[in-house]
Amino acid sequence: MPRITSVESPGCPPLRAITTDILGLVKVVEARARPAGVAKVVETWGEPDASRAILVASLADRAVDPVLALARKNGVVELLNPLNGDSLAAIKASGQEQTTGAVENDPIVALHLFKKHAPDLSTLGTFLACTEKGKASVRSVAKENAASASDVGPSSTWDVCSTGKLQFSSLDAGENYAMFGGNGMEVNLWDITSCSKIWSAKSPRGNSLGIFTKPWFTAGTFLCKDDHRKIVACTNNHQVRLYDTSSQRRPVISVDFRESPIKAVAADPDGHTVYIGTGTGDLASFDMRTGKLVGCYVGKCSGSIRSIVRHPELPLIASCGLDSYLRIWDTNTRQPLSAVYLKQHLTAVVIDSHFSTEESATIRRERRRIYMLKMKLQSDGDMMKKQ
Amino acid sequence: MAREDRKRKQDTDDAADDGERRGRRDKRPKEDKPKPAPPLPSEIRNKEKRSEVYAKLKRDKKAQKRKLGRERAQAAQRAAELGEEVPEKQVPRTIENTREPDETVCRPDDQELFAGNDADEFNAVLKQVVTPKVLITTCRFNSGRGPAFIKELMQVIPNAQYVNRGTYDLKKVVEYANNREFTSVMVVHTNRREPDALLIINLPEGPTAHFKLSKLVLRKDIKNHGNPTSHKPELVLNNFTTRLGHRVGRMIQSLFPQDPNFRGRRVVTFHNQRDYIFFRHHRYVFEEKEKKVVTKDKKGKASETKTEKHVNCRLQECGPRFILKLITLQHGTFDTKSGEYEWVHKPDLDTSRRRFFL
Repeated sequence: MPRITSVESPGCPPLRAITTDILGLVKVVEARARPAGVAKVVETWGEPDASRAILVASLADRAVDPVLALARKNGVVELLNPLNGDSLAAIKASGQEQTTGAVENDPIVALHLFKKHAPDLSTLGTFLACTEKGKASVRSVAKENAASASDVGPSSTWDVCSTGKLQFSSLDAGENYAMFGGNGMEVNLWDITSCSKIWSAKSPRGNSLGIFTKPWFTAGTFLCKDDHRKIVACTNNHQVRLYDTSSQRRPVISVDFRESPIKAVAADPDGHTVYIGTGTGDLASFDMRTGKLVGCYVGKCSGSIRSIVRHPELPLIASCGLDSYLRIWDTNTRQPLSAVYLKQHLTAVVIDSHFSTEESATIRRERRRIYMLKMKLQSDGDMMKKQ
Repeated sequence: MAREDRKRKQDTDDAADDGERRGRRDKRPKEDKPKPAPPLPSEIRNKEKRSEVYAKLKRDKKAQKRKLGRERAQAAQRAAELGEEVPEKQVPRTIENTREPDETVCRPDDQELFAGNDADEFNAVLKQVVTPKVLITTCRFNSGRGPAFIKELMQVIPNAQYVNRGTYDLKKVVEYANNREFTSVMVVHTNRREPDALLIINLPEGPTAHFKLSKLVLRKDIKNHGNPTSHKPELVLNNFTTRLGHRVGRMIQSLFPQDPNFRGRRVVTFHNQRDYIFFRHHRYVFEEKEKKVVTKDKKGKASETKTEKHVNCRLQECGPRFILKLITLQHGTFDTKSGEYEWVHKPDLDTSRRRFFL
């Protein structure tokens, strides 16, 4: 019998999330306190164009100078200002061999914008981009050359893997270590500053029938902020595995979850809970200390979950996927708080945590302008003093 | 005088029988209280009596309904004759009428929808850049009504080819089809000698739709059926309103050629109602008939007979008749293990009797 009584949903706390989809559109969804609890699309940036589909997005979530980096299907990495959608720079990051075939076949699979680099006036940001064939590169973008699509500053490229397809990459909180994994590629841990591989995983021993499956990792994350040694990686074979790089190469805990590949994973700031999303739209949370399933998030999600992100302060997670909905859930009660229909297949969602309902976007822009002016005057003053 | 009257009343009261008193007592409650309601038929425990009462109740209800209908028709006729406004016809409340407002319904002014359509996997076929070429195959053990159904399907879909399944993996079949530049693969799955599922895989990397097939009626079982010709059919897709429905509708559309031959008078219909897609295949013919209409003059004296020409349309059903229901829509080609689903039916989605997905 269909459930006729509806469960009252305690609306959504004020938040701002930015979603990207396969038509290259960036949509900003906000939930304010006054029309309580309903999240709505406030802005849409970009023209619908499937060749510029956004594959991955990463937000440098700083209070003062936040930058949103988007990796598009045509190999371009675009940096946007997440407050008003202005495009700050567009860099061709994939395919240094400029043949047209290479750009198609080597899409960017993972992107991470570094937060810790202080927003000094010369660089907009530094990002790590990885392509499917295993080329990882760290590039920084300078403001002066923003229009000319070239980058200045230290940029290093290295090959993460030669065989297999890279499917995910994740950086730890301190942004020194990065892990990569993919189809046919075991989970690797690299040190970014020295570009060297520190650790690589080993498959668990074959099961009782002697069947050995090739490794196929679809998502992974570092478990806690201060320890770069604990890694959670999820496989195509619906397993969630905990690895401890300081102890052994085989997984410490390996848990099976339902029957479809796990497409997205996010770690909780408390250091032991992870949220996973599968290909059939099941969202669940696991306690990785014991490997037990804490609970499933039951709601109307009917499409594969592509991206999960946890709000840094509020106990809520946002998930988006192929059913074109952005859903916001409460982590304590596992109730759905809000669902926004966004009309296209969504690829990534990021949460802007420095969102307060009292200020509007214009006020924030003004504040930023004043800050930049102050910095400029200071540096001019220094220059004058020197002379 | 009053006292004597009262005394006489008292005497008569006292002289009354027990029976009379009872009778009067019975009468009084009847005058004061309303009659107790007659028992519901379900409360009568005697089966014969109960069925009798129930039959009577139904007859009364039917008579009442007929009477109301007749009254309404007479009122309408009277109003029409007098030239007054005809009272509006009442519309019955159906589940489709009272469907829950769905935010995923396609709107006619949605630019994103058009852009999405231009970008999706069916665009090449629908814009007539590529002609559709369909490969039909079955599950591994195909028997019973499966082969007959496939033969009829081949006549419905132009440019369709049948390939024996053998023991090939579906992934290998998809690869084979891709190499030979097919635009879609249809797999008819048979269970217990009865076709019960249809898998439509759009190539090269397109979405895979898995439908449950039911109520299959083959051509030979249809009374007064016709035989289809080989003209390109006209396709009618009804009621695919939501985004998901639109996508499925486009997928079905990409199986057929986009340049129908209207002179062939052949139509294939996929009608979606409450998430069930009804498939029908008809031949139609338009006929002009002369009908004698007797028109009465306002005065009622002279009656003229005019012959009006009416165009009539007659349908003759040919080909199979079946019902499809979407079970899952998968994002890539058929892949059970590493599949990503765009839409999967889950019991949590059924929260209301008035909510449908297609």
